[in-house]
Amino acid sequence: MIRKIIIFILIVACCILQTTVFSLQSVTSVSPNLMIIITISIAFMQGKKEGILTGLISGLLIDFTYGSVYGFYGLLYMLVGYASGFFCQVYFDNDVKMPLILATVSDILCNFVVYVVFFLLRGRLAFAHFLMEIIIPEAVYTALMTLILYRLFYVINHALVNNQKKGRQSLWIKD
Amino acid sequence: MGLYDKEEEMKKNLNFLRQKLKSQHLLIILAIICIGLMAMTFSNGTNGRIRQVTNQFIVPFQNGVNKVGNLLGSWASGFRNVQALAAENEELKARVGDLTEENTRLSQSMSELDRLEKLYALDKEYPEYTKVAAQVISKDPGNWYNRFVINKGTKDNIAVDMNVIANGGLIGIVTEVGENWASVESIIDDESNISAMVASTSDTCIVSGNLGRMSSGKIDFSELRDDGNVVTEGTKIVTSSISTKFLTGLLIGYVSEVGDDSNHLTRSGTIIPAADFKNIREVLVIRELKQTKENS
Repeated sequence: MIRKIIIFILIVACCILQTTVFSLQSVTSVSPNLMIIITISIAFMQGKKEGILTGLISGLLIDFTYGSVYGFYGLLYMLVGYASGFFCQVYFDNDVKMPLILATVSDILCNFVVYVVFFLLRGRLAFAHFLMEIIIPEAVYTALMTLILYRLFYVINHALVNNQKKGRQSLWIKD
Repeated sequence: MGLYDKEEEMKKNLNFLRQKLKSQHLLIILAIICIGLMAMTFSNGTNGRIRQVTNQFIVPFQNGVNKVGNLLGSWASGFRNVQALAAENEELKARVGDLTEENTRLSQSMSELDRLEKLYALDKEYPEYTKVAAQVISKDPGNWYNRFVINKGTKDNIAVDMNVIANGGLIGIVTEVGENWASVESIIDDESNISAMVASTSDTCIVSGNLGRMSSGKIDFSELRDDGNVVTEGTKIVTSSISTKFLTGLLIGYVSEVGDDSNHLTRSGTIIPAADFKNIREVLVIRELKQTKENS
């Protein structure tokens, strides 16, 4: 329970940071996608179910604060969480390569979907332009932030899971 | 005893359910909920109440983080820029001199204008609007849109469709408003289209944001009927009198490139906005709505 509450607080903190500190440098600049980082980190460490829930909550938070269509980012990030959950089987302690690849790939894919749904369908055909101006810079920035944030999430999650396991062992219940 | 048994049974059922509920099922259930939400927004538009509740929680934090950020930023820049500031101070002092001179000249012609206006019984064309200053506290989390939230809302009599300006140029329009926040869609947003006109000739055109031009800082204009080819580089573009939401005569920017359309009737090109969108921190909201002004 405590772990869930802390993860929820982390998600909200990511949302606030993303909309304030990282964006306000300048309104026209590109900011990293912290919500994707937390979604894939939790999914990679904890599996599909938690990935789904983390993605859903992060996505809905974006929808409810800024989105134009409720549920769109919720669905998108939930799928990202679910897909990243498959890689939980190859989860090794403190290995940053896998989350790095996951974050970059899912960031690019999500932005591609956003482009198709909100821009291509309105007749904005210059994909190459959007790719160079937004998708690639955001992916690079997100990858860099993953290097830092994944370590942080790993430490927090590790501490919380250990705490939970200790509690269980004391009651002689097998995990 | 029986009650206890029931409780125990329910707990067992719940545990069973929790184990049985596979991630695929969870995904499908939640996806259906999300699609339902989307369908809801498509049929009724975005539900304001949900946003009100979320922002009620989030805005105070954003405000706080922003204050700390500004404080740190001003400290850092304070230490860094002493010399630059001194130079700037010199420059500004010189400018104040120039402007004072110009001001006296203008006030003289202003009094003459007043006199003439009285003579001809003309109303002032551009009334002074009441404005309120607000700080930008957060921005759209993605990079696809140019919307931001300011820290003033209904408490300061801000309403939807009020125009927002900063350093002399039009920034955007209020699209949603809460108790202590308001969200603003800027004119450089890809979905923004506003009716504008050439300041000198009153020929109308449409100004629209274009995400593809974001890095060059320009926006598009199109559908300009310009029979005498008056519009050249540097022509002033302002909001038009036929726009339903934007007040008349707010400066949008200056023409940067212009060319004939393939139909040889209209012209289109790009505009450099007058407002500096690269660092918007404080904006002014004009507390006057075009619609009510016309109705009254």
